[in-house]
Amino acid sequence: MSVREGFRQVAVATRMLLLESSRELGLVLGFSVIFPVGILFFLNVLAAPDLRVQALVGTIMLDMALLNVNALAQTMGQDKARKEFDLWVSLPVRPAVYTAAVALSYLPYSLAAAAVTLGVGIAGFHIPVPTSTIPTLFAGFFLVWASTLGIGFLIGALGRTPRQINSYAQLIGILLTFFAPVFYPVTVLPVPLQWVAYAWPLTWGSRYLTAVVVGNSGMALEAAAVLAGYVVLWSTLIALGLRWRQT
Amino acid sequence: MADTERLGASGDPARRDAPVLRVRHLTKSYRGRTGLRTANDGLDLEVHPGEIVALLGPNGAGKTTLLRQVAGQLLPTAGTIEIAGLDVVRRPIAAKRFLSVIPQECEPRGDLTVEEEIRGFAALKGTPRSAIPAEADRLLAETGLVEHRRTLIRELSGGLRRRVLLAVALAGPSTRLLLLDEPTTGVDPEARRSVWRLIEGLRARRLGILLTTHYIEEAEYLADRVVVIDGGRFVAQGTVAEIRARLPYGGRLEIRGLDHLTANGRALVADLESRYRVGLKLGNAERLEVPDPFRPEVVAELARLTGEGVQATLAPVSLEDAYLSLVGTGAGFDA
Repeated sequence: MSVREGFRQVAVATRMLLLESSRELGLVLGFSVIFPVGILFFLNVLAAPDLRVQALVGTIMLDMALLNVNALAQTMGQDKARKEFDLWVSLPVRPAVYTAAVALSYLPYSLAAAAVTLGVGIAGFHIPVPTSTIPTLFAGFFLVWASTLGIGFLIGALGRTPRQINSYAQLIGILLTFFAPVFYPVTVLPVPLQWVAYAWPLTWGSRYLTAVVVGNSGMALEAAAVLAGYVVLWSTLIALGLRWRQT
Repeated sequence: MADTERLGASGDPARRDAPVLRVRHLTKSYRGRTGLRTANDGLDLEVHPGEIVALLGPNGAGKTTLLRQVAGQLLPTAGTIEIAGLDVVRRPIAAKRFLSVIPQECEPRGDLTVEEEIRGFAALKGTPRSAIPAEADRLLAETGLVEHRRTLIRELSGGLRRRVLLAVALAGPSTRLLLLDEPTTGVDPEARRSVWRLIEGLRARRLGILLTTHYIEEAEYLADRVVVIDGGRFVAQGTVAEIRARLPYGGRLEIRGLDHLTANGRALVADLESRYRVGLKLGNAERLEVPDPFRPEVVAELARLTGEGVQATLAPVSLEDAYLSLVGTGAGFDA
């Protein structure tokens, strides 16, 4: 199959999935508006004045990474439950087509959520974000999104049953939310946990976004390089198609 | 050689009639908590263009395991599977171009309309963009879904959803093999028959069809060839008539109400029991295996029984009798 044919299949599948999810108003509003604004409001009230940028970055990390990890894994779980997954496996498509399409079908909602979060953070909560950094931030959103996709894929692919996938997704979601320094600086963690935190792509995503907002280009480049490494790692695993064909 | 050429579209009869599915020495084993379990044990099978093959077997016999390996969902432990001459394990994407599958209990996505679902899958299966509208129209007409084209799938009945799956399976320019895993399970009898008519109508397309079913009637109605699988092995293959002929008797004489027989009736039944094998005795009913239900003396015995007020029926052996005999689960009375 040619690369062009692969891209065509991704476009077709993404359109199908997007059409379907766009008909679920609760998902659209909850994913894109209610959840991010609620979290931002909550964090902004709790955060110390010097951590308000971190609160904004943390909420965007939720929008671009954590929800995606959960949504990708849960969608694969639902598809396995309905045997739709079997239908996909029997199509002349590579696992990357299916994974990319599921992930891309949530991307518009994540981007909308990130845009809403950024807008409300700047206009509503007066969080200082230089306007000139916004394009770079949006480029970073894609990187954060792509660098965390593989976690959702691994949960969805390795889980045998929807229930197993659901419980893995919840567990990893909790770990990523509270043990990755997205809502607080990594230095707050005890040193051994800091090393664990540096293994998460979310830590680097958070560093990247914070570095862009505060204008630290060296730290931003370093974090972007690590995130790009994660993209390569996940792409390789997805291409291998773990359990696409079961043994 | 281009993959499409392997099928012999050129008109070479030998190629055109070459099997669309060829399974050789297929074995699938799982290592579970209780040790090694072999779900498929050295299976050989061919399905030819225009042929409908029904796979019959009890739960856990290995039917779905076989289909999932053919569909590329499960890797075999040993053996080979070729679809249109292409190895499913070594060249999965190329082989799957000639394959369509309706997985067991598959539920299509509910929030797409029927037409959106069909168009999407047609595109995924390689139909050129310009040909998709015409193909969707054709499939909607063929599966009787025209009036539902703009209906969301979740609003359809179970039978109509099965038709959507069938339309999706028929989409694409190169399907040669159709796998149907229990295609009518869970649908009402009327919808089942309408799905049968659709499947029957696919003979004209010269698709090879391999289906699994628990409904003997479905196999009798649809299949050119029946394959009985039990314990991971094929225990019989052939036409319905050939499978039936494997039984050592040709008919069954069923007698009910044994506890209400007159003295003459009891004597008649005892005489029959001494001459024919009692295939099954259940409560106050029993089944006698008679050599040929159409022989005059057998028909005369039925007349004598009914003349004595005995509830008795005579019928030729069915595929179900043969199946139950082959898989060793005994036989039950029809409700």
